[in-house]
Amino acid sequence: MDALQRAVQPPGAAGYGPHASGRGGADLAVPDQFPAGLRVLVVDDDPICLRVLEQMLRRCAYTVTTCHQATVALNLLREKKGCFDIVLSDVHMPDMDGYKLLEHVGLEMDLPVIMVSGDGSTNAVMRGIRHGACDYLIKPIRPEELQNIWQHVIRKKWNGNKEIEHSGSLEDNDRHKRGSDDADGSAVNEGVEGLMKNQKKRSISKEEDDPELDSDDPATSKKPRVVWSVELHQQFVSAVNQLGIDKAVPKRILELMNVPGLTRENVASHLQKFRLYLKRLSGVAQQQGGMSSSFCGPVEPNIKLGPLGRFDIQAYAASGQIPPQTLAALQSELLGRPTSNLVLPSFDQPTLLQASLQGSKCLPVEHGVAFGQPLIKCPSNVSKQYQQSILSTQDAASGFGPWQATSLSTVGNNNIVAGSSLQSNNSLMDIFQRQQQYQQYQQKQQLQQQQQQQQQQQQQLPQQPLLEPSRLINVQPSCLVVPQSSAGFQAAGSPASVNQSSTYNRSTVIDYSLPSYQGNTASNTGLALDKDLKASGVLSGYSVQGSISPTLSSSSANADSSNSCQLRNPSAKYNIIGQAPGAVSNFCNIQGSYDAKSGEAIDQGPLKNLGFVGKGSGTPSLFTVDEFGPPLKHVYSGKVHLESGASRVKQEPSFDFVDAKVSIPVLEQLSSNDLMSVFTE
Amino acid sequence: MLGWGVEFLRAEMNRLLSLLFHQGVLDEQFLQLQQLQDESSPNFVSEVITIYFHESEKLLRNLRLLLMDKELSDYKKMDIHLNQMMGSSSSIGAKRVRNVCVAFRAASEQNNHAGCLRALELLEHEYCYLKNKLHELFQIEQQRALASGVRYPAQHD
Repeated sequence: MDALQRAVQPPGAAGYGPHASGRGGADLAVPDQFPAGLRVLVVDDDPICLRVLEQMLRRCAYTVTTCHQATVALNLLREKKGCFDIVLSDVHMPDMDGYKLLEHVGLEMDLPVIMVSGDGSTNAVMRGIRHGACDYLIKPIRPEELQNIWQHVIRKKWNGNKEIEHSGSLEDNDRHKRGSDDADGSAVNEGVEGLMKNQKKRSISKEEDDPELDSDDPATSKKPRVVWSVELHQQFVSAVNQLGIDKAVPKRILELMNVPGLTRENVASHLQKFRLYLKRLSGVAQQQGGMSSSFCGPVEPNIKLGPLGRFDIQAYAASGQIPPQTLAALQSELLGRPTSNLVLPSFDQPTLLQASLQGSKCLPVEHGVAFGQPLIKCPSNVSKQYQQSILSTQDAASGFGPWQATSLSTVGNNNIVAGSSLQSNNSLMDIFQRQQQYQQYQQKQQLQQQQQQQQQQQQQLPQQPLLEPSRLINVQPSCLVVPQSSAGFQAAGSPASVNQSSTYNRSTVIDYSLPSYQGNTASNTGLALDKDLKASGVLSGYSVQGSISPTLSSSSANADSSNSCQLRNPSAKYNIIGQAPGAVSNFCNIQGSYDAKSGEAIDQGPLKNLGFVGKGSGTPSLFTVDEFGPPLKHVYSGKVHLESGASRVKQEPSFDFVDAKVSIPVLEQLSSNDLMSVFTE
Repeated sequence: MLGWGVEFLRAEMNRLLSLLFHQGVLDEQFLQLQQLQDESSPNFVSEVITIYFHESEKLLRNLRLLLMDKELSDYKKMDIHLNQMMGSSSSIGAKRVRNVCVAFRAASEQNNHAGCLRALELLEHEYCYLKNKLHELFQIEQQRALASGVRYPAQHD
């Protein structure tokens, strides 16, 4: 909270008297004494360097605090949150590696960290950057280098503002607070954003060329740069999920991922970003009026990912699947125009936040956030219910309770849908929900139906607002967000289906894997069509390995009318039936037959929302998700047929889940053994 | 000594400094150090150098122990020590010491025990030379300070 606050407000507000009252504008118009008083924490085990640095910083009129132990520094930072503007940290320290400290600081305080080291090798510097250092200074440090470090504070603040701005634009509550800031921040950041967009595009195109190999990027021949493709990210998420976010360490993740060419540093950096993302999300959520949880996170991703989203849209347009109006609407969203109203506003609502976040601690939620999937929250709830069978029980437990309470009214509903399908796979569910407009659905069945139609291809987005601002918003965000959050993932809504398949494959991994798949599933929109879902092989055994064909995407559109979207993946078929906004009964049938029919799922629930059809290279899969109004009951029956390539093993897991939130019968039904057996198969 | 003029002492200091610079013992970072000394911290340079000596001797002891510890030296630990030595040496502008550290580390990375031993000898030599010269420098400075009437606390280095 504090960190967030600090990030949002100009540094001056806290420490630099003169512009304490200044808002965004203050950054640009640097006050006379601005850098003076910058509160710097220096951490170095070498007393000489420490002393010299201290003196140099004093010369810059900064307020300096020194610390010769990383652990002490970390404690200090924790105790005095908001008392420092920037951290200078040595890399080599006996008690704690500088990178580790960097990771913690980035994760917990979101402060700019400058690494300092005598080791100026490209490797070391790259490592620092990967871990999120905003600068890397090589000893001996020269005073000139320190005179400028305040820029990192400002930059961080701007970026923070920008993120918040975007989310804020969606949020009515915060909006008025930051009016001026937003304008300044966005204008200033335009250039940087453009650069990032280009990079993103580049990486995406690379991905498409060679989804599996990140390190092959020619542009990074010198320093192989890992492109976190959808598949790779899914693997990463799966690994983290398997380990538990708290226990996930780069080394273990790397082992689990088992990706050649990937280094511990790559993973560590990505993990840090991932955590940062989660942290930011939770922080924003907190900021929003104390609601237990917030969806702000998703919003941020949208902003950042803007480029990606745009890219996606283009792809869609190219595929011809998206009508012009839709495209226009999407682009406006991607561009982060608050005015568009479509996506962001929904996030603003506290209710949504609650549903999604309630357990800020919950990993599932965070993941969801990280991926930019608003729906995630619900999944977390679900996961709790099913915890035994699937991933994280804790998360589910924490999230679940709150969700139930709020489930009817808010996002929770959306989540529910996802949750039902995903229960274990929170993320997947989310995706589906978004695409299918389950969110709206959850809130109100009536609304859901309408929304679903709208959601199917985002084309409907404009309509959604009419129905219910909040609900509508949710849907849109989901579509947009997903791609962005997935970090270059194109998947709009459809990906979710794929994810689900993956989720089933691995009990633990499922949640995370979903996002990646989403990207693939994006094929609905036409984005991901080309890609193969390969990641599935490792992380998610069941994952649909075929690439999604454009045709499939079109089919998803069809689903809209029926409220159910069918995803056809040659390999797998899923029928997920539904969740009621209130709650609570989610019924998912997953059948691993090529013939899967969305109709089946639909029958069960009055509201049938999701149907994704994805074509896997090898096997077709059909996903049907239906949502039911009945509260507190989630029934999942699923068979997953995953066939990857002719040579690959077929797995047919079948799950029956019935969860009553109150009574929680579902859990019992779903025995972990069953799930496991399925997976192990 | 007290009779020597301030100017003479200042010239003497400059002579010594230029010699050290010429020899590559020190670099401009040392000048940075001197410039950082001001009213708020009048003994900054000697303070830092004192810490440096203290730390470096500790590191040198550890390095020697590591190298004497049979053939199976802990090169990783050695690297850590050397990194710190490099960092602190470069921070005070002890150029030659730092350069030897670089060579030392290279040998250590190759697990070259003989090379490490040679590098250690050289490092100790460079360190002693630096220490002696800096002591000399501080003594002159102390005299100069006294001579110019500046009431800086006595410097023991």
